[in-house]
Amino acid sequence: MFRTLGRIALSFIQYLGELALLVAETVQAMFVAHIRWRLFLRQVVEMGFRSQLVVVVTGGFTGAVFAAQTYFQFHRIGMESAVGAVVSVSMFRELGPVLTGLMVAGRVGAAIAAEIGTMKVTEQIDALRALGVHQIDYLVVPRVLAMMFSMPMLVAECVALAIWCGYLVGTQVLGISKAYYIHQMITFTGTRDIKMALTKGFVFGILIVFVSCHQGLNTKNGAVGVGRAPTEAVVISSLSILIVNFFLSFALNIFYPAG
Amino acid sequence: MSAMIEVRDLHKTLGNQEVLCGVDLQVEKGQTIVVIGRSGSGKSVLLKHFIGLLKPTRGEVLVEGQPIAGLPERKLGEIRKKVGILFQSGALFDSMNVEGNLAFPLWEAGLRNKKEIADRVAEALEMVDLAGEQKKMPEDLSGGMRKRVGLARTIVSRPACILYDEPTTGLDPINSDSINHLIRRLQKRLQVTSVVVTHDMKTAFHTADQIAYLHEGRIYFYGDAKGLQDSQDPVVQDFIMGRSGDSD
Repeated sequence: MFRTLGRIALSFIQYLGELALLVAETVQAMFVAHIRWRLFLRQVVEMGFRSQLVVVVTGGFTGAVFAAQTYFQFHRIGMESAVGAVVSVSMFRELGPVLTGLMVAGRVGAAIAAEIGTMKVTEQIDALRALGVHQIDYLVVPRVLAMMFSMPMLVAECVALAIWCGYLVGTQVLGISKAYYIHQMITFTGTRDIKMALTKGFVFGILIVFVSCHQGLNTKNGAVGVGRAPTEAVVISSLSILIVNFFLSFALNIFYPAG
Repeated sequence: MSAMIEVRDLHKTLGNQEVLCGVDLQVEKGQTIVVIGRSGSGKSVLLKHFIGLLKPTRGEVLVEGQPIAGLPERKLGEIRKKVGILFQSGALFDSMNVEGNLAFPLWEAGLRNKKEIADRVAEALEMVDLAGEQKKMPEDLSGGMRKRVGLARTIVSRPACILYDEPTTGLDPINSDSINHLIRRLQKRLQVTSVVVTHDMKTAFHTADQIAYLHEGRIYFYGDAKGLQDSQDPVVQDFIMGRSGDSD
């Protein structure tokens, strides 16, 4: 029992150590090696541009259903006009970044781990190294930069769609006054909430990209390993997002307190 | 002759298994050495040490007299410009076509003149008998063609030494023979040092100036092809003749 727990603890510490080394190597590479901007742009298209549909649909429907459920509860106590504020603040501070993070982990994290993992087991990464190209410079740095650039924008897009769809459902379907809806929303939503959403999105993006790159770079055992790498990347990224979000909410509340 | 590659007392442990247990080997400039041995005997592991893809557990690896075992990955870039490697699978970048694969090392080396890149790609493809195949994707190539393209990618940046990791494994006898001739032809045309790792005796006898037999983690035999064939050592003879010792 204790031995098993010890082994789990040790492998967790080893995992964190490997991840920290990858982060350190990547940061070093950003300063000592030249940045491949062409690869960065390709990754922005792959990670950011092509993730828009999934993020927009997630945000839109979440905002719509959230507005409806809030209305059903608030209607009983005559507070329908507060629906806009609740949807907006919740989406900015919690749901927007977390949902975007989970969707991007599923779409982009899995793709990163699968692509790098396949390159690992087919000796393509060894080929890169043999041609004098550092694997971190070529595979990790462009992805990290692209994720840092794309993720806050995806979060903004998700939240914007959620608010818009919530507004449509609230005002067009449920009959809440447009003027009250917007007034309450603007009153209770501030730049602090926007900053919190973007900061969380940025942090989650970094989590996803490093976890996924690490899984890809450590892929072993041929096809079985390539099959396992994306699954593990998505599971670890998703759990990390949910756990880190809890602590991040408290920490960021110090800098951006809820209004 | 001076040594292009030298390994001294090389040890490598993978997991709990000591794959190499004190290998000493010297590859002279312009020479072709073939390393033979059974599958899993550590031939490819040894080869990967020559270019710093693996770090030894103990011992030294020198490329043109420079120790590389302790060098960080970023410092190995210069060494790897001198020594190219053909991987067992070809290891082509499957996101790029043949032209992209061959242009990659040139682009990474800082060459930006598109005409010069195209000319050098065409020249390398012509050397491996694949002229005009620039636009094909790796998935459209046969096993033999993938190895040829892999070899073209290795020679396009004109290294002083080429390492071949099982160049004929998985190929039919005719394709294997064609690759053997190609290796010999490239040696003559480019005057490069070559190290060929194989368990294919035909490749060994066809391409080698010297043959090193890796057995139980050490160089068991070192000499020319005739010396190997004439050896009366039963271990060497069993390997050459392909005798497993098993009975029906």
